[in-house]
Parts: sequence; structure tokens; C-alpha cells
Amino acid sequence: METIEIDGRGHIGGLLITNQNGRPLEFQCTTPVRPNRTQEILFGETLRPWLLGELIGSTLLDRVAIKPSVIITSDPCLLELRNHTTVPVAFAEEAVPERGRSQNPEQTDRRSGTEASVNGEGRLKIGGSILRFHDAHGVDAETLGRQKHLIPNSANLQEPLERVREALAETVRTVFAR
Amino acid sequence: MSIPENTELETPLIDQRRIADSRNELRPDVAHTGFNPALGRIPVPETMSIPLDSVLDFVPSWTARRIPLKCIGLTLPEGIEFLPPPKPKLAQGDGTELRKIAPPKKLVENEEGEEKGPPKVTRIKPPADALSLQDRLFYLLQPPLESWLAGQELIMPFEPFSYQYEGIAWLFSSNSALLADEMGLGKTMQTITAIRLLLRSGQARRIVLICPKPLIPNWQREFRTWAEELPVVTVEGNGARRRMLWTMPGIPILIANYELMARDIAEIPEDEQPKFDLLVLDEAQRIKNRESNTAVTARSIRRRRSWALTGTPIENRPEELGALFEFLEVIPKGGSPDIRQLSKLAKKYILRRTKDVVMKDMPPRIDRDAELELTDAQESAYRIAEKEGIIQLNDLGDSITVQHVFELVLRLKQIANFDPLTGESAKLERLMADMEEISASGGKAILFSQWTKAIDWLAPHLKAFNPLVYHGGVPTKQREPILAKFKQDPNAHILLMSYGTGAVGLNLQFAGYVFLFDRWWNPAIEDQAINRAHRIGVKNPVIVTRFISKNTIEERIDRVLREKRELFEAILGEGDNNNQSLSLNASEIFGLFDLKARHKDGSKSIGPKPVGGEAA
Repeated sequence: METIEIDGRGHIGGLLITNQNGRPLEFQCTTPVRPNRTQEILFGETLRPWLLGELIGSTLLDRVAIKPSVIITSDPCLLELRNHTTVPVAFAEEAVPERGRSQNPEQTDRRSGTEASVNGEGRLKIGGSILRFHDAHGVDAETLGRQKHLIPNSANLQEPLERVREALAETVRTVFAR
Repeated sequence: MSIPENTELETPLIDQRRIADSRNELRPDVAHTGFNPALGRIPVPETMSIPLDSVLDFVPSWTARRIPLKCIGLTLPEGIEFLPPPKPKLAQGDGTELRKIAPPKKLVENEEGEEKGPPKVTRIKPPADALSLQDRLFYLLQPPLESWLAGQELIMPFEPFSYQYEGIAWLFSSNSALLADEMGLGKTMQTITAIRLLLRSGQARRIVLICPKPLIPNWQREFRTWAEELPVVTVEGNGARRRMLWTMPGIPILIANYELMARDIAEIPEDEQPKFDLLVLDEAQRIKNRESNTAVTARSIRRRRSWALTGTPIENRPEELGALFEFLEVIPKGGSPDIRQLSKLAKKYILRRTKDVVMKDMPPRIDRDAELELTDAQESAYRIAEKEGIIQLNDLGDSITVQHVFELVLRLKQIANFDPLTGESAKLERLMADMEEISASGGKAILFSQWTKAIDWLAPHLKAFNPLVYHGGVPTKQREPILAKFKQDPNAHILLMSYGTGAVGLNLQFAGYVFLFDRWWNPAIEDQAINRAHRIGVKNPVIVTRFISKNTIEERIDRVLREKRELFEAILGEGDNNNQSLSLNASEIFGLFDLKARHKDGSKSIGPKPVGGEAA
């Protein structure tokens, strides 16, 4: 799930459902939504998590016909969605390889423990990505860790997010720019 | 409410303080004003207390409500699921090992450990003619080809080169496409993989591939190698069976040869004509004559997508491209685009790459012209034949036709190969010398000739090198075993082939030497022949030897063809040094003997049957 901001017209969000190999199954995107002045004042710092996570995220999740096992995003604000759904929501960032350390994910897993969690901080390493979860839902790391074997080690979890951003940009060009 | 002190009031105000202080002043001078004396009473204001409300009448309120948002949705079509190939099978019948290719590396580090950046990914771009948002999103949302083909779902026996990824992505998103990569760059593999992705992504369910008959085993083998799970059915058998295959739904991939396509499609009634999601024409130069039965039939087949494959989109004339564009349905029926329009269409619908550009690491092809003096007997026979031939041509006067000249050219070329009376041959002598060296080092060579007769004549002379013969006279069923033996038998050092049968579609990259015993009329066809050996997978340089008899017709033909090599660069782009060149036309054939064309249409091509037809 990703969102982009359109100049002067607010935000739109997109949710791409893929299978475990990254093949697309369904895509939904919202129309643009822009907070008014009252909302800006009253929500303050919580505006973006409310707008992106609760408003856009929940709408998209309600709309998709195929319910996902996990939602991955590159925007930490979207972690707010986890407070409104039972589906784990993870923020993906690139795993920075450490010098002199094996890059074999299997070896990394064996060394770091059976639950594939990294540093025990509710984070999970899959493929070349580190997944972080909502502070109040750290259990998601363990839940997803048990299903990790379904995702190929070669999977790049951030790559589909790039597709979503491109699809949103294309939608803006084609539809909302009119 | 408050009133400023300096405000002048026209009427008395009810103000307790001021009333108390100026009660006398308020007493009106009734007589003076003439008002009713009753007004002279002093007003007595009454006061009362008003209790405050516990709830204010107006309070601004705001409740966080979920704003209804509209959504735009796209459900991607489900692809066809195929039975996975048997997993334990590591090697196919022909020894090709299947392996999962390595996933794309996240970061490539050099020896110093410096990061070079992420590996290249090939994204599928929406085609220019995809106008609806849904269509464009479909392509944009597909994963990069590298990860799609990284063994997660689709086993690839070898990792494609980056230019092949680009070709696959281009084909996948094209409704009309002419893949014109130079021979040996993997058009077959790119096509099969793009077909595989179309089927797996639900974009196609019924595909037909038309190719020359000798190439059908090659396509079958390549499908087994690159897309083992795809069921491929070949159109063959009696008429009833073929008709059933053409019209039966549920066959994902149908392969047929051009002759059967032309015959069978014409016999199927209009309302039973099959409809395909994709029609692929291999060696599409077969339809360059747009009025031919083959071309008309190919265009009549109902389809959603049209792809054409050829290494030689122009063999003779630029107009041949027009025939291909008409098949691709990008120009109107019978349309004749000029050079400028052709160039514009080529940029949009043709993808052509050459080895020079994409295969910089490929071992080089080393061309060398062997200019040979005729033997005495050949020289004598040649001069007599030439002299008599020219006299005869001159005697024909205005009745001379290009066919007369052409016959003389053929006669002289045959003598340049060997003297029919004595069997002397300068070319054979040179060939024997080269072959001794090649066989001694365990190498293998392919020899091409225009004539099956020359090949049959050569075979016994080359007995020491265990020659194998592969030309149109060899029954189709025997051809595959001949190629297999050439590959596997270490004692079989030379394969004798005709241009017509052996120039296209075969993979013989284990042969390090190619001999062109005589010259074809078109260097593009010679290049096709050479590229049987010099293609992807070749590990060592390929040495190509062209035999040219000095001071003969061969030398003159070679000069004319060289001059024409660059003629079409304007159409297919610069830097295409293996570009198409023209066959000799009538004027040029006449010119070989300083004769002027007597035919009205001096540009008429009189070359022999093109490749795919049989050798003369």
C-alpha cells in the first residue's frame, strides 16, 4: 500500500494485492482526498496517520475483494492502519548489509533465532528487506515470521511498492488531471 | 453592550444612574412643548434579574467522521495454470540441464568491495496504443521480468541477457510487433518466453505459430527447453485431423508450417474459422509478396495480436516491409508507405538489435575471403563457356531475357566450383587443406553451397572427414538425426548444407568454422547461414571462409553486393553493419556482362528462390 500527494489536490492511495511471488492479482486506488483547515488544526501531528492510515488505508482494505495476509508499505504513517484492522501492517526498509557478515538469508536466520526476528525489536528480515511493525502490535513480527517460508528468499518486498507508485502516477495523469 | 460617552442621544435612555442624577432635568416642559401633561410623569423603570442558561445557545461542534472515498479498481485476469514439469528431472533428452537461475543480486560488489548499485531491472511498459487506464495499469503492475523469471514460478534453463529481457518485455506489451534481431541473438527464446508470460498472465489462451516446415522440430525442441510446461501441438496428419486441430479450443499453442496454413485455412468455412489471441509468423519474409496465397491467408486469420519474426525484414526491396506492416495491421490494406513513413513505422513496430551492439562479449566472427585462382582445366572451361555464352546472348538480340543471362551466370558459377569434365576444383583443394587442419584439432565445420549437386559431389571427396549431408534432398525425418550426429560424433568433422535448407533456424554453435563454397545472391542470406554457428552459446571465435574464384563472375557479383550493403541503413538504422542488402536485380545481372537490360522493368528481381525454398 502506498500513497502519493498530488499538488494542491491532496493524497491518493493505492493497494496492490500480489501473490507470494509478486504477481499482481488486484489493484485499488482512491480518489484524491484533501484535509480541510479544521482537520489540519484539530489533528495536528496525527493528521497524516489519520488521513493515510485510517482514512485511505481502511477504505482500500475494505474495497479489495482479495483480503491480504500482510500489508507492506514504505510510509510509516500507514502503520496507523493496523489500529483499524486485524491484518498485520509492516513498514519495509532496505536491509543494509553489514561488512564481513554473511548475506545468505538462511544463515542469517539460523544465527538470529528461530523466529527470524532481528534484534528482538519486533522486526523481521525477509529477502533484502527489514520489516517494522506498529509499536502496539509487535506480535505481528512473530505471526509473519511463522509464514515466512511462503515468501522466496529472493523476494524484494519493496519492489511492488514502486509499481504501486507508478500506477498511482499513471492514474493521476490519466484520470485526475482532467 | 456599551455606549461611548460622547454619543449624543436623541431620545432619553433608561439608565438608572442618569435617571437618579437628573430626575429634574427629565421633567419635560409640558407647556412649552404642548404635549399631553400625562407625559410629565417621571418614568419609573423596573428591573428584573435574568438567570443564566446552563447551556449556551451556540457552540461550534465537530465530529471526526470518515469521509467517503471513491475507488478505482482493477482485477487482473487469472493466467492459465499448467502442470509443473517433473521436478527430479535435471536433464532433458537432448542433454540440456534445467536449473533455476540465480535471483537478481541486490548489490554487486567489485573486488574492492565498492557497491556498484542495484542490478538492472526490466519493467514492462504499456504500449503506446493502450489508451484505457485499466490496460495501462495492467502492464505497469506486472513485476520486473528479472524477478518474474527468477525461478519463483517459471524455471528458465539459462538466464537471459539484458537485451533479451528488453525484447521479451517489448513483445509482451505489443499487439503488433516485428522482432528483427540479427540471427543468433535468440528470437526464438524471446518469443517463447513472451508467449509463456502471456499465457501465465491470462492475456492469451490460444496461440498459433507458423514457421517453415524444416523448422518445426527446432521450435518443438526450443519450447521443451524454454517452457517445458506449455503443451504444444503440431498441425499434422490427414485433412480431418488437421481441421480438428485448427478449430479445437483448449490448445494453448499450435504450430503449423506455411504450406499447411495456406491449404487448411482456405478449406475451413467462414463461420468455423479459428480465432487466436496471437499469431506468430517465423521467418516472416515468407509473406513479403503481399499478393501471394501465403500472405493473403496469413492476413485472413482472425487474431488479436500479430507478431512477425525475421532476421531479414528486407531481403530485396523496401516494399517488402510494407507487406509485413500490412500483416501487422499497422498500415491499411494495400498501403505503400514511402521510405520516410517506413522509417517511422520501423521505429515503432520493429525491434532490431545486432550482435555488435548487444553481444560485446561474444567471441568474434572472423571473416576471410579466400580468393582462389582457377585450376588450368577450370580456367579453360570457364573461358570457353563465358565466350560462347556472351556470343549467344548477343545473338539473341532484343529477344534476350534476364533468364538467358541468369542461366549463363549459373553455368559459370558451377564451373568456378569444379570443372565438370575433369573434376578439378581449386576450391576443393583449399577446402581439403583447411579441413585437415581442422580435423586434426578436433574441430567441426559447416559448408554451404547453393547447389545440392555440388554438395553431393563434394561428399565423397571429403570422406576422410566423415561428412554429413543436409539439404533438401534429405527426407525431413532423417534431418534431425543428422544434426544430432554432427553434434555428438567427434569424428564427424564437416556438415555439408544447402543455403535453402540449412540457412535458417538451426543451432550449430559448436562448429567453429564455416565455409561458403559458393556465394548466395544476397549477403543477408549468407549471414543467416553463418549465424548457424556464430550465435549465442558459441565459446570460441567462428572463422568464416568465403571462396571466391578470381577473375570470374563470382568476383563481379561480390563487388556489386558489397556496394549495395549499405543501401537500406536509412530504414533500419545506422550501425547495422549486418544489414539487409539487395539481391541482384535484372539490370545488375545484365551489367555483369556489360549488357543492358532489355526488359521494361529493370528492377525486377531475378534471383533464385529465397531461403526457405529449395536450393537450385
